[in-house]
Amino acid sequence: MSKILSSIACNLDPHILLAALPLLEAEKIEAVEWSFDTLFKQQEVPDWFLALIKEFSDQNRLIGHGVFFSLFSGKWSAEQQNWLRRLEVLAKEFSFDHITEHFGFMTGEDFHKGAPISIPYTATTLALGQDRLKRIQAACLCPVGLENLAFSYSIDEVKRHGEFLNRLVESVNGFIILDLHNLYCQIHNFDIGFEEIMALYPLHRVREVHISGGSWQDSLIVPGEKIRRDTHDDAVPNEVFALLEHSISQCPNLKYVVLEQLGSGLLTAESRSLFQQDFLHMDQIIRSSNQISSQPANPFLPPAKSLIEAFPLENERLHAQQVQLSDILETAANFDAAQTMLQSSDLAHSEWEVEKWDPRMLETALAIAQKWKHGFR
Amino acid sequence: MKISKSLLQVIAVAVTVGALQSCTKDDTKPNAIEKIKDKVEKQVNPGYNCPGCGMG
Repeated sequence: MSKILSSIACNLDPHILLAALPLLEAEKIEAVEWSFDTLFKQQEVPDWFLALIKEFSDQNRLIGHGVFFSLFSGKWSAEQQNWLRRLEVLAKEFSFDHITEHFGFMTGEDFHKGAPISIPYTATTLALGQDRLKRIQAACLCPVGLENLAFSYSIDEVKRHGEFLNRLVESVNGFIILDLHNLYCQIHNFDIGFEEIMALYPLHRVREVHISGGSWQDSLIVPGEKIRRDTHDDAVPNEVFALLEHSISQCPNLKYVVLEQLGSGLLTAESRSLFQQDFLHMDQIIRSSNQISSQPANPFLPPAKSLIEAFPLENERLHAQQVQLSDILETAANFDAAQTMLQSSDLAHSEWEVEKWDPRMLETALAIAQKWKHGFR
Repeated sequence: MKISKSLLQVIAVAVTVGALQSCTKDDTKPNAIEKIKDKVEKQVNPGYNCPGCGMG
């Protein structure tokens, strides 16, 4: 394990930057993760923000985290082609130590709107994901990785997620981001133990860990039940810090631990102070671990030869199912309506296994999709 | 990691204006000042304040 770098998600948001300033001034932040594609629609990016990103880039302390590529969309889009083109240009301007994206596909008709939702784990989706990862790697020419998803439809899906991620990224000698708050969501929502869920992930492929806060949502269909959601709008719970302490020694190739929080959760001086305390707490845990590490980490370099098909893989059936699911999740008036619509859709009795979906999670999927259907506002 | 002091000072000024502007709107300010503040706000707060995830 090489030295682990204490990092933050650093984006063009005044509240995030205000919260980070004292840490930057104290030289505590060792690397930044930039969601570069959130600025693709921005006409004008201030020079000082690019200068900040460049400082980290010049010291090889910059990592990129995409949001909008929509890795598992069944149909290849012009927006995805443009995304790759923009990434290719950025990768020549900045030195990214690696590039990552989210698992799943984006709901919503507009490519830049919606929320990441999971897909069935089949040979078709595996091939599609591998095709997309190769294209991302060909654009950025650096290590590429994927983040585990917080949301799952069922316990069966929770148990298969790690292995599916492993098969996806091994095609590009890639790595995974282990988001510990996402694991915390699954531990709570599916009543699974930490050691049990960790054993299901390819921990030798973890190069980056995320920690963040979230929120509780009351279930309407199961009164008294609370669903944990990965909303990034609160301080990091003690339970997630405990997961970090127990994870580091199990991830021999870990290089970055990133604290993430939404700017909307940092509007007050008190919340920004909590963010700084969370960072210092995270840093202290990492420093304790760094003292016992010695072995060099796997650099996850791109393969010398990577065969990419001339035309991006597409699957019309998957695309049609995704369009139907997005529409149901974004427009259903309530849980019962969503269930009725699913039962009469192409997803019924298919590899999506909608019949096995946990009702509380369908209810959560509705909340997520309807929250983000207009994008970030 | 060390960041140059001059850059940190520029960021401090820019984000302070951006944060104030995104929290409050004062319609009584003269137009010229409003235009400058609007420009800073549009640069600093483009509407994608997500750190990449948090859409769960």
